[in-house]
Amino acid sequence: MSETETKHSTSIRDTSLNVQKVDLKPKRWGMIVDQRRCIGCHSCTVACKSENNVPLGYWRSWVKGIQKGDFPKAGNMFLRRLCNQCDSPPCVQVCPVQATVRRPEDGVVIMYYGKCIGCGMCIAACPYDARFFNPIRNTADKCDFCASRIDNGLEPACVEACVSKALIFGDVDDPNSEIFDILATVPTSVIKPELGTKPKVFYIQADHSLKGRIQFSEDFKEAIIDYRKSIPSPDATYWETRDQK
Amino acid sequence: MEASVLYNVPHDIPWKVFIPLYFYFTGLSAGSFILSTLSTVFGIKRFKPMALPAAIISFLLLLLAPACLIVDLQQPTRFWHTLVPEYFNPTSALSYGSWLLTLYPIANLIYIYFIYVKNDRVTKIIGTMTVPLAIFVHAYTGFAFALVRARAWWHSALMPGFFLTSALLSGIALLVLVAMIMDRLRSEKLELDLYKSLRIMMIGILLTDLFWTGSFWLTLLVSNSDGHASILLALHETFYLWGEIFAGMLIPLAILVYPRTGNNKIWLSFASVLIICGVFLMRYSVVFIGFDIPLS
Repeated sequence: MSETETKHSTSIRDTSLNVQKVDLKPKRWGMIVDQRRCIGCHSCTVACKSENNVPLGYWRSWVKGIQKGDFPKAGNMFLRRLCNQCDSPPCVQVCPVQATVRRPEDGVVIMYYGKCIGCGMCIAACPYDARFFNPIRNTADKCDFCASRIDNGLEPACVEACVSKALIFGDVDDPNSEIFDILATVPTSVIKPELGTKPKVFYIQADHSLKGRIQFSEDFKEAIIDYRKSIPSPDATYWETRDQK
Repeated sequence: MEASVLYNVPHDIPWKVFIPLYFYFTGLSAGSFILSTLSTVFGIKRFKPMALPAAIISFLLLLLAPACLIVDLQQPTRFWHTLVPEYFNPTSALSYGSWLLTLYPIANLIYIYFIYVKNDRVTKIIGTMTVPLAIFVHAYTGFAFALVRARAWWHSALMPGFFLTSALLSGIALLVLVAMIMDRLRSEKLELDLYKSLRIMMIGILLTDLFWTGSFWLTLLVSNSDGHASILLALHETFYLWGEIFAGMLIPLAILVYPRTGNNKIWLSFASVLIICGVFLMRYSVVFIGFDIPLS
């Protein structure tokens, strides 16, 4: 009888120790996008939209596609884009009302929609163009690693939906996690490291032409206009004009 | 190797024309306020007749400026969130700006009252305290851009200085027009020396603005690919090259420097109108050329 009692008390002590441990060591959620495995199916985009109820014509995360070379020496490449969950986020720096913050307990950059005044400064300041105005909520909106899911022990919707296990999600600081293992052994890169934003979304084998830098050419004006016109994915204006008809 | 984008998601520009209009109005306001303090604080007697009208214009523009900001918000009814001390973000230029935009009109109103009752001593004290506010109100808008590292067109240490000098420039140009109208309406004429000193100030600040512009061009031309792209793109924009630089800076400079046109009141007011439009185009090009380079 007494033995079970002592067992019981130690187990309680153990859990309290565990809780303390969690408090002492904050998590740092991160994601690896393995471009070798990505087949460009856009499942992550669709899963993200349905999970977060993102309005038509707007995306929290998407897949960027490029084509390199000429037939027969040509290749299609994909870059899975989402908020990079920077450790030094430019959007948090500029927000005048602290409506967007980097959560200290897990490093995820989240939005407080009730605080946001919709000034657009964070959208202008994001180097990854990952933010947008949600036309229904009328505030800024962004990918938050599905904060409501990861708080309840689930993986983000895109990671769960990925057909080829190209997305790996986990605690970057936890030595027992898969993501820690891969970051230590496989060469990875981030987008725009020179800005010092310290992103926590890492890419394996992402081509530099995918990463959003302007290619150098003499006719910039035309190149940029072509760039904008050459994007067939329906943007917000597409839906607006469709509704008017 | 050539790479073409098959598909991508660009997000909309978050701002409308109200944002450059706002910068323009605060600039005009700060500029005319500083001009008003030339006689009351710095004791240059020649500008005495300008003190009251300049201060009143500065206050009226200050009512317009925050209105533009609030209209541009997606949640206009939540503008007061910026003034909640708990929400204050010490790294955000906009946080400081919203406090400055609240304090400065109040200080401005008190200043106008003491000019109106002709209490020179108190006017000087209030004016001295309000001058830094006026400078900060406009400099913060420059910092709001300079502190955005994502966009090469904005991320420059010259931005606050450029914003301040062009604010002063537009303020003086507006005051020249106001002085012309005052001359028509009032029986006692303003002395010609006033116009002359306003003209010399405008020439000096125009040259400073051209210096800033040249520095921008040179540094961006040898900058990273984003910076290089934005300057080449800007030079293709009609409203930037021909509007802001040519019609807004070079033509007024030529008119003001050439003695025959510079001393002629009609030419002077024409140059002032060009300067006022050019400064608006400067705000416009700073804001929207910054968005021309896609980041995703």
